[in-house]
Amino acid sequence: MNDYFNLILVIYIVAAFFSLIFSKKHQLTNLIANILSATASLSLLILTALHLIVSTSSVELLRITTSVPNISLVLKIDNLSAFFLLCLAILSMSVSIFSIGYMKHYFYRINIGLFNCLYNIFILSMILVITSSNLISFLVCWEIMSLISYALVVYEHDQPENSKAGLIYIIMTHLGTAFLIIAFMLIYVNTGSMEIASAGQLLSPYLKNILFFLFLIGFGVKAGIIPLHVWLPYAHPAALSNISALMSGIMIKTAIYGLIRFILVVLGASTVWWGVVILVLGAISAVLGIAYALIENNYKRLLAYSSIENIGIILIGLGLSFIAFANQQMTIASISLLASLFHLFNHTLFKGALFLGAGAIHYATHTKNLEDLGGLMKRMPYTGLLLLFASLAISALPPFNGFLSEWLTFQSLFQILTASNQGLKILALLIVAALAMAGAMAAACFIKFIGIAFLGLPRSESAQNCREVPIPMLAGIGLLALPCLLFGLFPQIILRLIDRITQEYFAVSISSGLKGISLITNNPLIINESGISLLSATIIGIIFFIVFYTIIRFIGRNTKERIFETWDCGFGGLNSRMQYTATGFSKPLRIVFRFLYRPKRLLWYNKEGPSPYYHSDLNYVVTTEPVFEKYFYHPLAHSLKRWARKSRFYIQTGSVHIYLLYIFLALIALLIYNWVCLTIC
Amino acid sequence: MQTFLDLLSVLILISAFILTATKRINSYIKAFQLQSFLLFLATFTLGIYNFTTKGFLDIFILSIIIFVLKVIYIPRLLHNTYNRVAYKVEKDFFINIPSSILICAALVILTYYSLYSLDGALNIHIKFNLVNSLSVVLIGLFFMISRKKAIGQIVGFLVLENGMFTTAMLSAQGMPIIVDLGILVDLLTAVMIMGMLVFKINESFDSINIERLRNLRG
Repeated sequence: MNDYFNLILVIYIVAAFFSLIFSKKHQLTNLIANILSATASLSLLILTALHLIVSTSSVELLRITTSVPNISLVLKIDNLSAFFLLCLAILSMSVSIFSIGYMKHYFYRINIGLFNCLYNIFILSMILVITSSNLISFLVCWEIMSLISYALVVYEHDQPENSKAGLIYIIMTHLGTAFLIIAFMLIYVNTGSMEIASAGQLLSPYLKNILFFLFLIGFGVKAGIIPLHVWLPYAHPAALSNISALMSGIMIKTAIYGLIRFILVVLGASTVWWGVVILVLGAISAVLGIAYALIENNYKRLLAYSSIENIGIILIGLGLSFIAFANQQMTIASISLLASLFHLFNHTLFKGALFLGAGAIHYATHTKNLEDLGGLMKRMPYTGLLLLFASLAISALPPFNGFLSEWLTFQSLFQILTASNQGLKILALLIVAALAMAGAMAAACFIKFIGIAFLGLPRSESAQNCREVPIPMLAGIGLLALPCLLFGLFPQIILRLIDRITQEYFAVSISSGLKGISLITNNPLIINESGISLLSATIIGIIFFIVFYTIIRFIGRNTKERIFETWDCGFGGLNSRMQYTATGFSKPLRIVFRFLYRPKRLLWYNKEGPSPYYHSDLNYVVTTEPVFEKYFYHPLAHSLKRWARKSRFYIQTGSVHIYLLYIFLALIALLIYNWVCLTIC
Repeated sequence: MQTFLDLLSVLILISAFILTATKRINSYIKAFQLQSFLLFLATFTLGIYNFTTKGFLDIFILSIIIFVLKVIYIPRLLHNTYNRVAYKVEKDFFINIPSSILICAALVILTYYSLYSLDGALNIHIKFNLVNSLSVVLIGLFFMISRKKAIGQIVGFLVLENGMFTTAMLSAQGMPIIVDLGILVDLLTAVMIMGMLVFKINESFDSINIERLRNLRG
């Protein structure tokens, strides 16, 4: 197994170097590098699935030690990291296949060789982050991952907004890393070991609380929890779509991995309010994330905000699990973690598919604005169908996997509701409401996405003339979108694998609730004494459909069908300007949530019409305020800048005497320190 | 011999006080020359002593170099520099002389308290010399801060360096000769460069008052 794993790492490295060496020949390098990387990902997929099925303990994969103490690279795979590697492998395999076609768009416009090199190292760094068993190597790989993703975000650096996005991203991610470094140093000072291992007994409760907040902020920045999310909606639209898919699909999940690994395993999640904090932040992220997604017209930003919502849902499950673990309710803890990890897996699938689909739309139409799209379903039927699948899954509609993981989250919320005290009960009720609202808004959001982009008439020349994307791209999207349906119908496949993790941490298995895939037991998933089977529901639905279809056909066998154009009220032909716009679609929500969006309207007339009430040409601009940026980040940045400028003039006066005085005072201070130390000791 | 060295270290300290008490640039240079001469005497004594007891010539050679460099060459260099820049007699210090002397005395007391209670294998002579010579370092630095003219900074720097050299000599019997020689070469270059800078400052600002350098700030 070790050799097999090392071989996978070597393939990624070979792919990276190959594309760097042959960077002049764009087609060749792109094809070979992506095939290599897809192969490696496929092998990784098989390896991790095998590990989850067969092995129970952690296995050491690679050990490179140096003579310097604590500086070593030790890779270990246990159930949790195997599961995250599984998500990474599925996603990176599909993305690599997608890139074979997608990068044609960029041939001879950007340096493909360097891009593919960074792309492979990016995947490699994520593998190393997930498998590192040493604080220093974790930190180093984490930083490599951040820096390479920065380089990939600003890859099209000729556009000024991309460098701005990259700047925000790198500032935020380094802020997070700073908190992580503090936390790791605190752990090392207090335990004397750099291993990532359970250290709950060695740390005082006071220190554990501090460490919890350090980890929450450090990983929260990467995950995009709401007050720390500002980089996400900028970085995702700036990056190429395959990179956005990787970043949204798995990179932000490495932060969830960190939260589970460090708070549950290392700190031992013994305090109830930790879970409450995560739960509340998750609920806020879920509701606000999708609320912001709804009013976006740039479809990649819309998807980025929707990632925040899904991270929120994952965090709700995680928070519930921590609460139940601290209260020693192991069954609930295990179901919540199961829900959380299942949603994480599902989000990897459908968000990956959606970002790749967004890439396909951009490939075909060269625009990122929803207002310029429309009518793509006729022109790109396969992309449309696959994206419809992914959208249905992300909107949590049966029979897709998103529905099941949200159902599980609701189930764990209901269990907490019945099994805890008053305060938690009220909180759980509020979270149920928030989650329901987020679900509804997500559905609205993706109705907007699919409805505006794929239905109706094309709103621009480029949407009019677009064509279906090449096969590799469709295959990449399909490999992610079709499993959404598969795992919706047969969730046991993946739930059995996740069950290994919950079994390891909580010693509770839900496998008795997983009834296999036989049709005779109609409840293949029984949690909390309520079962669900999307498979039987789907089959019943199909049977009903067939029956009703035959009945209707039978009743209406004598009616005549007349095919005619839609009535246009006598205007003389329908055109695309008569359709609902993306802005118009979200207008009711802008009105309802005025306090959140703070919309501003500007209306001015360019040309007088025949009467003052009827202008022939007018402009209408609606803007919304990014609340967190305007009221928190901008004032913070401004005051920091002002303070820095001022203090620079106080400290750096330009007078040589003052500079000498600094040295003099430092010497005097040291002498006094020496004196005080000697007299005290 | 130890008493003689103790006496010299006190004299070096006193010469530093003399330096703070001077007003004119000529007297700075003379005070520095006096201090360097005392330093030469200390090194010379140590050199002879080492040669007769252990047979090392290192410190003896060093003392000759110090004599040539610090007593003769550098003061001449400073005189030349000073003569070439136009000079008006004007107030050259931020802090008046009585207060400066009081501050320097306070520095000596602080150093005494800070170092005299040091434990370890330090005998009483070494402690005594350490206090004196570190005080010279601090006084040199203080001198650099309190004078406005660029020559004041150069002399202050040289005195600071003298203090450090004394520390090494009297409390540790000197550093390896290669280190000492390196430091001396460093010093020589520094003084030459600073001398040239004084010309440049004089050219650009019509004065060697380095307060004017403040205008360079961006």
